[in-house]
Amino acid sequence: MTLLLRAIVAADDAAAATDLGLETVTATVVAALASPWEGTLPAGEAELIDHHRVVQTVFERVPCLPARFGSLFPGEEALRMRLGERERDFATQLARLGHRCELAITCAWRDSGAAAPIAIVQGTSGRAYLERGVERTREDRKRERRAEEIVAQLLGELAADPASIRHRTCPRPAVAVSMSALVTRDEIEAINSRLERLGARLPDVTIVVQGPWAPYTFAVSE
Amino acid sequence: MLDVPLVELVDRLLNRGVVLTGELTISVAGVDLIYLGLSVVLSSVDTIRRAGTKV
Repeated sequence: MTLLLRAIVAADDAAAATDLGLETVTATVVAALASPWEGTLPAGEAELIDHHRVVQTVFERVPCLPARFGSLFPGEEALRMRLGERERDFATQLARLGHRCELAITCAWRDSGAAAPIAIVQGTSGRAYLERGVERTREDRKRERRAEEIVAQLLGELAADPASIRHRTCPRPAVAVSMSALVTRDEIEAINSRLERLGARLPDVTIVVQGPWAPYTFAVSE
Repeated sequence: MLDVPLVELVDRLLNRGVVLTGELTISVAGVDLIYLGLSVVLSSVDTIRRAGTKV
């Protein structure tokens, strides 16, 4: 039976997911929760969203390390062997993360951030084309600097341990900042309030907060 | 315009989280791929948005 890995939990917590139709593969101190995989490949959006829902359901009950989508195993023994090789690391990660959750904080450019492609205008010189390219680079760097300013403001509002924050600036044309914050559930309301106030002060981005999610960004990975 | 919140979720599902390399070899266009994950999902994020998938 092919198994799709969903999450890693402490072995003592595996019983909390018995009603979810998941297979439990146990090592000594951790267990892997997996679903029988009967889908076809390549997988699509439905499988992705389903993975998120399964992981979230587990996470609502017990601390877990969410699996990146796509780890398929030909059977329990293969999964158990791989799990056993790394269970000490997983146990350490579970203890470190506890039941903290991830907030996804996205600052989207209000002007969509999309720049028009540099057009080749008939009748103009190659120099003109290159100059437009230089101007485009200048604009991109200006956005990067502005994104870094926004990161500083976000970090000021979150006032969190730096190890609990990960971020990227300008990861996509429409996005100034993509940030992940590892927080406790009782911090969420206050964080949302602070970010809402900050968002009202920022004229060029919209702040979108999603979560609480299982801690994808902070879980160990190969 | 691309659905920014959905893209953020998909990014986490495909690029973050625990990885336990599976032993199942998947072939795409005759090329064996040992590592799954992003290579499994060939549907573009824009396709996901157009499908109107609710998270």
